[in-house]
Amino acid sequence: MRLNEVAHNLFIIEEGKQSFPATKSKYPPYYGERKYGNLREWIPYRSKFAAMVMNGYMPQIMNDWKVLYLGAASGTTLSHFSDIFDDGMIYAVEYSAKPFSKLLKLAMERKNIIPILRDASKPLEYSGIVEKVDFIYQDVAHREQIKIFTMNSNIFLKTNGCGLIMVKARSIDSTAEPQDIFNDVIGDFSSNFKILKTGNLEPFHRDHIFIHLVKG
Amino acid sequence: MKKWKVWFGEIDEEIEASDNLVSSFYAAINDEPIPFSIVERGVQIFGSEEEYYRNLRKTAVVAGEKLVEEELKREDRYAVMLLKSLDQVDESINLLNEKLRDIVEIKESKVTDILREKIDELRELRNEIEKEIELVISKVCPNLSEMLGGVISAGLLEKAGSLERLAMLPASTIQILGAERSLFRAKARMKKGKVARPPKHGIIFQHKYVRTLPKTKRGKMARFLAAKIAIASKIDYFSGELNPELSDSIKHRFEELLR
Repeated sequence: MRLNEVAHNLFIIEEGKQSFPATKSKYPPYYGERKYGNLREWIPYRSKFAAMVMNGYMPQIMNDWKVLYLGAASGTTLSHFSDIFDDGMIYAVEYSAKPFSKLLKLAMERKNIIPILRDASKPLEYSGIVEKVDFIYQDVAHREQIKIFTMNSNIFLKTNGCGLIMVKARSIDSTAEPQDIFNDVIGDFSSNFKILKTGNLEPFHRDHIFIHLVKG
Repeated sequence: MKKWKVWFGEIDEEIEASDNLVSSFYAAINDEPIPFSIVERGVQIFGSEEEYYRNLRKTAVVAGEKLVEEELKREDRYAVMLLKSLDQVDESINLLNEKLRDIVEIKESKVTDILREKIDELRELRNEIEKEIELVISKVCPNLSEMLGGVISAGLLEKAGSLERLAMLPASTIQILGAERSLFRAKARMKKGKVARPPKHGIIFQHKYVRTLPKTKRGKMARFLAAKIAIASKIDYFSGELNPELSDSIKHRFEELLR
């Protein structure tokens, strides 16, 4: 087993022919992932961020960043973010009550998660809670994904702050060609932001891309 | 001077600290972005940044628990009751309309104008109730609501009794929910050895993808839709996360059958 540190507390484990990401964590497994000593396996099929790392892209991050996470769902990716941003703070916004109740359990265990049960498409409804952040991570299966990100970054993202958006083609328009949608989305973003990198998440998530950008 | 609402109180020129953090947490709604640093002001109240975040986290967890409990508490029963009143209002509108027409045929008067007005009001009420059903259903069972819309989802919940029971039903039962009478009639005929045609669909007939197909294909669509509903209700009951692939798949199946 060989370890390769790609970011703070984030490793790629190489074991024979296999390789997979993992985060250093003092907490027990959260969603059925395996643990190797103090490393928690990060399953790319379950988390889009892990799929992006598997595909060879690692955005620059700092472990003391303030993060706004839109669409935290039941907290799978969030639990690893909590390991990585161990000196920062993560505001986790989720709209649906069922997965949120699971996320609450995670927030009780970790010291750096602020759970917020609110609709990410109405950022002013949590404007009195969330501070200015360095990083917005968005993974929402919503038709208005682009608008949601733009609204939130206008209110909460610092200048020169980064954003990472997991775009799902099928929830924007299930009938159009994914590639056409991606081109449109990238075009929309590039008028307001500086795009650093885009790429797909195959074979882990179909018809998805990630967009890493900076608020200029 | 504008008053800004933050999770620990209200801020104009001075900071007015909230005496109940849990209730002020989800009331921190403003109509434009806050122009100052929330953390800086918060530190003035809580003493240090460490204390600020400790309090914020604790409040978020407690307020979240409270809100989740409220949102999940018997919301499915609420939707079902709303649906019942919706049906009742519909019926009243129809009855009154009929009577109004009968009267107007004989004579128009002040009373008929009032009656017409009242019927319009009832229609408005009807739309309000329907909107509320959509809203509640989209929270309690996002997948069902995405696939079927609020009214049909609520109808299924009503027939099944609750989301929990709907999640436990097999697809074959879901397919004919609401067509119990014709099912048992068919069964009775079969018992006597006569030819019988059991129903192809119950409530789900109201869905546009079933209703608009030619008669020979409705059964296929109903069977497919019921299978997807069985999956969706289980997801809604156990995890509650939206899976848009389900509604995509029924759309595809519909387009296939349309050909």
